[in-house]
Amino acid sequence: MITLGLLEKNTFLEAVNKKSGTNVLECYQCGKCVSTCPVSGYMDFPPREIMQMIKLGLKEECYMANSMWFCLTCSACSGRCPREIDVPAVMEAIRHLAIEENYRSENKKVKDIRKFHDIFLDMIKRYGRNYELRMMAEFNIRTRNLFKDMHLAPKALLKGKIPIGHESTKSAKAIQKMYKLAEKLEKDMK
Amino acid sequence: MNKLTYFPGCSAHGTSEEFDHTLKLVMQTLDVQMEEIPDWNCCGATSAHVMTENLALALPMRNLVLAERLENKTMGIACASCYSRMKGTKKHLDENPELARRINTTVIDEGEYKGTIDIKSMLQYCYEEIGLETIKSKVTKSLSGLKVACYYGCLLTRPKDITLFDSPEYPMSMDLLMEALGAKAMEFDFKTECCGASFSISNTEVVESLSGKILEVAKESGAHLIVVACPLCQSNLDMRQPDIEKHTGRKFDLPVMYFTQLMALAFGYPEKELKLPKHIVSVEAALKHIGEAIPEPEKVKKIKKAVEAESEVE
Repeated sequence: MITLGLLEKNTFLEAVNKKSGTNVLECYQCGKCVSTCPVSGYMDFPPREIMQMIKLGLKEECYMANSMWFCLTCSACSGRCPREIDVPAVMEAIRHLAIEENYRSENKKVKDIRKFHDIFLDMIKRYGRNYELRMMAEFNIRTRNLFKDMHLAPKALLKGKIPIGHESTKSAKAIQKMYKLAEKLEKDMK
Repeated sequence: MNKLTYFPGCSAHGTSEEFDHTLKLVMQTLDVQMEEIPDWNCCGATSAHVMTENLALALPMRNLVLAERLENKTMGIACASCYSRMKGTKKHLDENPELARRINTTVIDEGEYKGTIDIKSMLQYCYEEIGLETIKSKVTKSLSGLKVACYYGCLLTRPKDITLFDSPEYPMSMDLLMEALGAKAMEFDFKTECCGASFSISNTEVVESLSGKILEVAKESGAHLIVVACPLCQSNLDMRQPDIEKHTGRKFDLPVMYFTQLMALAFGYPEKELKLPKHIVSVEAALKHIGEAIPEPEKVKKIKKAVEAESEVE
């Protein structure tokens, strides 16, 4: 049953507000964010609806939506929001909460996007920096789509657009230590 | 001579080598000495902040600590995404000293974070610190005749409380910079629309749709080429352009150049220094327009005629 948040304490709203540093209750549902957002058309629930869902405490529905995974953090919405709500921060808060509470969408696009970010973070952990060609190759392998963008390869490689080799940085060791400490910090803060 | 701490970002050593290279040439001409942060690391780009909280702050913080050691007043950042991450992190840390102290423990080997460095994008640095007059004085080969659409993307001007630079809706700094080089900056309504950014690999059809719209509006503006200041915008608009053309059935043929490439050209560097062969959409035809006279637009002609006719009646 949906309660209006009057009878029960809306802990989800509180968690989102705390994490995002913005007050979702300020939203008066004008929809300017939706018309501004370049990817709202791809979202299960565009930003305006997400705001209302948070107010209603629809936690699981928010976690399982693709919306926060499609948000590109371009900040066009927050720049135009008449209530000055930091919409990308709200999307980020939902995303982090969903990760923390182990919610995983089975949506193929969401899985791809998550995989991309995992590979990216792995890459930094290993080398301290990111290497585009390796990144693309690894994504294709891990999504079992070996031929994605292969038609771009001859031109891009021949022209030197995407360099083949890469440098190793001294920073890699420091980064690996940082990853460990950051992870520990995240646990301690909980 | 001015000194500037420089953070190139990963793509400067990869897909946007031409940006890095021409930036260095241009800064030489402008008498700015760039000191690259030794042993810098990736800022975490989109992925760190999407997936984690602490790492998203720790990665940029390490660079900030290393940058502070160089003791220059300002750090210039080439990539728009790095710029946004580093400046956003600095703001967040400076507003939450307790958090800053905690995150600092993850990079304490590099030193203490002080929060003393001023962060600017390279476009911002050219516009605010060097100034259009100085840039104009260095032009030896005017780009007159070249019509350009200046594309800023999301992160150079947004969110405005982080970037503190230009307008988030209709910025003009790059347009004015191009005019200082002699080029004509066209009216272009999609200056700050998103190109699809990091979805380039994981969600390509979104990038093709968003970048396709930008290309379409840029084409309609009458520009010969698009000017950018962000490596990811460049690769989305340039490398994905043939696919976008195939899927939309429209021919754009719009080269996408970094503002520093055009600055280097106007400062008299030979074309081979611009690394033009790296472009997927060929630049040569567009650059042939340099030196051409731009005829007055029909609209302006009509208005002028009407005004003349009116004054004759009087």
